[in-house]
Amino acid sequence: MFGKKTLTELIGELRNDPQVTHWHEVPEEEAKTSPMPEDMHEKIKKALNDRLINDLYTHQRSAYEHVMRGENITAVTPTASGKTLCYNLPVLQRHMINPSSRALYIFPTKALAQDQKSELNEFIDEMDVNINSYTYDGDTPANIRQVVRKAGHVVITNPDMLHSAILPHHTKWISLFENLETIVIDELHTYRGVFGSHVANVIRRLKRICRYYGSNPSFICTSATIANPEELSEELLGEPVRLINNNGAPKGRKHFVFYNPPVVHKQLNIRKNGTKVVNDLAARFLKEKIQTIVFARSRVRVEIILSHLQELVKNEINRRSIRGYRGGYLPNQRREIERNLRSGETIGVVSTNALELGVDIGQLQVCVMNGYPGSIASSWQQAGRAGRRQDESVVIMVANSSPLDQYLFQHPEYFFEGSPETARINKNNLIILVDHLKCAAYELPFNRGDTFDGEDVTEILDYLTEERVLHDTHTQWFWMNDAFPAHNISLRSAAQENVVIIDQSAVENHRVIGEMDTFSALTLLHDEAIYLHEGTQYQVEYLDWDEKKAYVREVDVEYFTDANLAVKLKVLEIDKEKQAGNHMIQYGDVMVTAMATIFKKIKLETFENIGSGPIHLPEQELHSNGIALTFAEGTFNDEREDVIEQVLMGMAHVLQHVACVHVMCDKNDLHPVPEVKAVHSQKPTVFLYDRYPGGIGLSESVYNQINHILKESLDFVWECPCEGGCPSCVGVGGTDSSLQVKKWVLKLVSQAASYD
Amino acid sequence: MSVKSKLLRMKNHLQLENKNEPAADKIETPPAPKQDKMETAFKDIGFEPFYFDGERSYRKRILYPYATEQDYDLLKDMERIKQFWGAELSDHPLSFNGKEIDRLLFFDTETTGLSTGAGNVIFLIGYAKLKSEGIEVTQHLLESPSDEAAFLSGFLEDFREDDYLISYNGKSFDWPQVKSRHSFIRKELPKLPEFGHIDLLHSARRLWKHELPSCRLSIVEEKKLNIRRTNDIPGSMAPILYFDYLNDKNPYELRGVIEHNDQDVRSLVHLYKNLVMKLIWENDVPSSGMEHYYMGEWFDKLSIYEWAEKHYEHAIHKTTTPFPQVYYKLGVMYKKMGDKEKAGKYLELALKQGASPPVEAWIERSKLAEHYEKDPAKAYDYAKQGYQYIKKNGRFNEKKYTRQLADLNKRLKRLEKKQAF
Repeated sequence: MFGKKTLTELIGELRNDPQVTHWHEVPEEEAKTSPMPEDMHEKIKKALNDRLINDLYTHQRSAYEHVMRGENITAVTPTASGKTLCYNLPVLQRHMINPSSRALYIFPTKALAQDQKSELNEFIDEMDVNINSYTYDGDTPANIRQVVRKAGHVVITNPDMLHSAILPHHTKWISLFENLETIVIDELHTYRGVFGSHVANVIRRLKRICRYYGSNPSFICTSATIANPEELSEELLGEPVRLINNNGAPKGRKHFVFYNPPVVHKQLNIRKNGTKVVNDLAARFLKEKIQTIVFARSRVRVEIILSHLQELVKNEINRRSIRGYRGGYLPNQRREIERNLRSGETIGVVSTNALELGVDIGQLQVCVMNGYPGSIASSWQQAGRAGRRQDESVVIMVANSSPLDQYLFQHPEYFFEGSPETARINKNNLIILVDHLKCAAYELPFNRGDTFDGEDVTEILDYLTEERVLHDTHTQWFWMNDAFPAHNISLRSAAQENVVIIDQSAVENHRVIGEMDTFSALTLLHDEAIYLHEGTQYQVEYLDWDEKKAYVREVDVEYFTDANLAVKLKVLEIDKEKQAGNHMIQYGDVMVTAMATIFKKIKLETFENIGSGPIHLPEQELHSNGIALTFAEGTFNDEREDVIEQVLMGMAHVLQHVACVHVMCDKNDLHPVPEVKAVHSQKPTVFLYDRYPGGIGLSESVYNQINHILKESLDFVWECPCEGGCPSCVGVGGTDSSLQVKKWVLKLVSQAASYD
Repeated sequence: MSVKSKLLRMKNHLQLENKNEPAADKIETPPAPKQDKMETAFKDIGFEPFYFDGERSYRKRILYPYATEQDYDLLKDMERIKQFWGAELSDHPLSFNGKEIDRLLFFDTETTGLSTGAGNVIFLIGYAKLKSEGIEVTQHLLESPSDEAAFLSGFLEDFREDDYLISYNGKSFDWPQVKSRHSFIRKELPKLPEFGHIDLLHSARRLWKHELPSCRLSIVEEKKLNIRRTNDIPGSMAPILYFDYLNDKNPYELRGVIEHNDQDVRSLVHLYKNLVMKLIWENDVPSSGMEHYYMGEWFDKLSIYEWAEKHYEHAIHKTTTPFPQVYYKLGVMYKKMGDKEKAGKYLELALKQGASPPVEAWIERSKLAEHYEKDPAKAYDYAKQGYQYIKKNGRFNEKKYTRQLADLNKRLKRLEKKQAF
């Protein structure tokens, strides 16, 4: 008979597990506090006292003081450090000073907005004052919207809503914009890459409208730990920002465990499948009814893990107490899962990073990550899901065979001591900028001589006039088109149009079960693809590419599908170049064409290939920025072309992974292309390009720190324990030791890297 | 690389909203005038300039004098209508409360798009007024988007607190749009007056939603007022024609839109008269059985039962095929009015009309038996009949019937218990 095991017992067992390669303990920390600011209104003090809060954490007090001085601030706040008071206190104080003052709160998701509204309203009730705070999002009923516009002292929304519903209709929001004193931007670190570049432009538009109505609000931002919170906020806001990072909140003890699955194939350095290991580990805790969250990197993984876990623990707990949670689920489905987590009805969640954000789902004790989430900041965010309430908690990161994961597991100090990643945006990406200039012109005409928050945009406005989108009266540019530009521009996805997924399993009752951006749809929703949704398998019966609809039907099969994307690359113009040893590194404009070619059917249990089929979808074209690492004449002597090809593939594999770590992006954002004879140089070349039209500054950043990346790549490949190359370092193609890919890559990288 | 050449290179990624291609097959248009000849060109198409704070706008006023007997009838009918609203049903959505008829503005705008955001501009405001000597149509035209203050001030000058606006979809489109444009220049202009507003689209939908393919004004005109337009340009072309005009600076290109708007506002006069007369003097403007039914329903919803009853009765008389729905409506209405006997009678009549009476009729009849006649056995009977009807006709696949089936099931169970005691 087995007794129930406690979390402490399970942690003890884990300590003895030989696969644990690193154990890091984050000690408890005492609170650092500061007395209440003297000028703070009595009603606010009283409400705090009623909650048994008699003084503030140091960072809360600093935030309050700087905001009250009229400065913009960014408070860096780990999970559960009481960040809401950093903005709620000054906003409420401003309201007590000037009752007509308004505030706008921007949260990256609707779920967060809902949470914050309840929290703020509770506090307002305790203060016993008349302050109206409302959420304004896609779910707000039409009859409430009017009230929010006219009477909302605090309006809580998300960037998408601001972009497509509030700013274009600013004439309905006059009282908000005339009296706007504070703009709160929560989870600032999520505004990076394409999304961040869009949001930075939405903020430019917001500031432009505030100026028009005569207000000059200050900004309060909060951010998780990243390397450059100050830089990111200044880029995003276009204004100087004061950084608040004297966190005074207490912390509970946290165990951070690195778990590397056992090697099952010595020569090839192949490790046991990470997904299976994750399942076993998570099941250990779930069986004891210890609330556990599992993070997987892709939607497909979420679904695979979910169904396996449900199967593994079916004897101990109800299948339904383990749920999936990811983008692509419809909002009410997600709300329900969040509720059940809080109530404890749900014990386990398998999630993509949709839950990475600070939705307060209560006391999860264990967090298991299937692979390194791709960035240090993101890892800590996910780790923060466990032990929010100052209890002991454990975080287990399970390595995949990917070079990135193995690199990290070789260098735990990089993770625990190294600085977290830098978040970048490129708000002047031409395509994004043009999109938002259209929206801005729709909102208010541009006067000649106006800038777009400091950016001279005359040339673009002239271009839009030529295209007959704007009308130039010689003193002003007016929007002159019957379209509503914000509707065609999505802040979140690279491709602007989404594919709607329609389940036609029930003849009478076709229903929409989700949506997906077009680029992902190329490889995930082609005809015959297996699409997983909440643990249920669907097969795509027909993808109507023109109408952007995928018709799926429920199936029960033993495999999933994986599609290949063929990519061709053309250099359009070289902006910068420099020598890298004998080799050459260049940065510039590229055109990429991508076509989904074939898909493979892969068996669920064993991951073996059991069949394949063609994909017939049109080629997609992409203009972007990229770098080219071109190898000098004679580098390969008389080496066979297929060998050169394998070497370049290995090289591309290494560069991509190491570069992604350093520019803080997802592997899919920075794409590699190896070419034995590149068209522009006729030489062997490895390209990396931004997978978004116009580029988002990733490859430029790679170009700027290329030497550092090359040196890191050298260390990484050198330290890989495999003999002649393995999937973890130089990729699958490099495992044929007769080709000596690993040796070649080491040689090339060391030639290119400079140690001066 | 210059911004320009980058823009050209990335053209495929840029979403250039439907480029405003010049309108095809234009009506023959004289060439664009020189800039200093703009006023003359506008005068040519009937528009006079006026100035406001250094901005210029154009206004056209034209009188269509009453000529035929029908014209004078229109005026007489409108006077009668005025008398009527002054004396009766003054809260009705179509009532203008006995105001003088020359205070009515039959109103329509043309805009640069259909969206309701800040970038959608009104370039033409037109309204018709009934004067003693004829219908007067006034139109304001926006010469350039930078002259909005002059444009709107011209309209506001003409517009009084006690005016009554009569529009087609104006409540949700044209007027919010006027408010939005006004807010841009609210500091230069007087406040927008509060006033009465009758939106005829709402009424048209009540009467004809089920009958017409759409309740667009042009369709209502053609099918219900027998007005046929020749050479009319569709309203959807208006934005493009205005963009063309801005581009070519040629006022003649706007003639079609101006004519279309002029027709629209005059049609509204006839539509208004026709709708009101159908409602209150069914002998003067006869209606079909279905129209009477929907008018009855409308009065019913407004709790004006006397008029509802009248229209429902007409609906019965004018329809030759079985029409159980009217009896059902009457039954429910009598119940609301407190006349349980008549309610019972009409619900029973509803069940006897034709082969497919509304299921609600059984439910309502059963309720009546249970709660007022205190006869659970009878109530059970009616509920059972309804239940069997749905089952027999195999209609339980539809959502509505599933719900009703559940309702009936519950009802039957309860009634079974009631009968047991």
